[in-house]
Amino acid sequence: MLIADCGSTWSKILETDTDAIEIIQTRELIRREGIRFEIATGHSAKSRCRIYRNELIALAEGSLALVADGDFSVVDVGGRDVKFVRFAGRRVNRLDWNLACGSSTGATIELLGHYYEVEFDRLAPSERWINVTCGVFGMEKVLELVSTGTPPEEAVAMFLHGMVRNVFDFSGRPGRLYLSGGFCENDCFLQTMGNYCTVTPLGRTVPLEGLRR
Amino acid sequence: MQTNSSRRVIGYYGFPLRSALGGVRDRFGRDLPLVDLDVAAGAPDAGLLPPATCRIIANVVDNAVHLGPRLAAVVAAVGEDKCDRGRHAAWILRELGVIVIESRFHEEAFEDRPLLYSTGRGPLAGRVEAIMATVVDPALPGDPPEPCLPTHGFWGVPPNDMRILDLFPPTTHLYGWVRCVEAGRPADLDLECFVDEGVPTVFFHQAFCAKQDLAHRLAEKHGGIAVDCHGEINDSILAKVEAFIRLS
Repeated sequence: MLIADCGSTWSKILETDTDAIEIIQTRELIRREGIRFEIATGHSAKSRCRIYRNELIALAEGSLALVADGDFSVVDVGGRDVKFVRFAGRRVNRLDWNLACGSSTGATIELLGHYYEVEFDRLAPSERWINVTCGVFGMEKVLELVSTGTPPEEAVAMFLHGMVRNVFDFSGRPGRLYLSGGFCENDCFLQTMGNYCTVTPLGRTVPLEGLRR
Repeated sequence: MQTNSSRRVIGYYGFPLRSALGGVRDRFGRDLPLVDLDVAAGAPDAGLLPPATCRIIANVVDNAVHLGPRLAAVVAAVGEDKCDRGRHAAWILRELGVIVIESRFHEEAFEDRPLLYSTGRGPLAGRVEAIMATVVDPALPGDPPEPCLPTHGFWGVPPNDMRILDLFPPTTHLYGWVRCVEAGRPADLDLECFVDEGVPTVFFHQAFCAKQDLAHRLAEKHGGIAVDCHGEINDSILAKVEAFIRLS
């Protein structure tokens, strides 16, 4: 059975019989005409599945499957949204979903990274940050910093730091935070977040675990 | 709102004193229909308020302007039972030449009506509409909903976009200002802030409404979620409410 988490920029597909996971860019998924999933979640899934599952529910149930703690917070930083769930006694205590705001989402940082050809696995964290109140304004500040002599890598790391602060605030500033999504593979993000709280990456397939339950 | 009719109407908003509503009906005609101006009725933007304002108050002004000469008068709740913006809307409408009768629902006028719809079983939107209809017709229903224990709670005012109420199970109890209206006590802050302990509750408020202060405090205190909406609900709001109901 095929289940999938089809985000705006990346799609994660799980074949439950073999546990094989395929992660592709959503633009490639769109080209695969006729692909159908038994259960799916995510922005790009609604027209491609038999059963559609609410993204917050998928995240919550996936994190419950992966985390044994009674009280914990999990945040999923996606391509163009951020989802947050806090559990107390393994019951949902608070949740939020910030939709389509580039101040704390992956697509914005991907754009910057591509433009300046930044390799995130080698990017050093910056102690300085840009106030990323808005993704577009934040990008404008990066352009300004670079044009006035700041190395692009430093400017992008400052943007990333501003974004981390937004995610940390959005999550209610917990002492420990479980992270879901593509930023689990971004060392600069993890190290920067580590200056604010203990961060545990859960990987990119947390919602898939929720769909599988 | 009957916008395609030429018939005159009496507008009102909030929960005016029954005596104020009755007095205006005596003055302008008992046969004139009463129109709740709070409700989104498709009126065009009158352009009289800034975009970042409460959608309910914008409905009041837009509806009144759209009704134009059909509006015999407006009975305006302007006291603690409504809000400052309700008072300001009354001033604006008067500036436009509308006959405005102000109402302040003081404690002396509080009633103690039974909470049949707030604590009964049934579709939430229908129960909210039934409660709001008691502003005009306070007669108790002949067939009240069956009482039930609450599995969930909805706290707040009638939303601008009522579709959010469709997400709740029929065993949802109503709290907040809606419950105050059913009790006949629209300015009773203690009743407005009451929720049953242990009931997973969505604390709803319109964006740019002062009730957000209560919603956020109460959500924190009772382990619920505060949800706000400006105009129409979106996927994010629906998902939050659906997830909270499903997972709590």
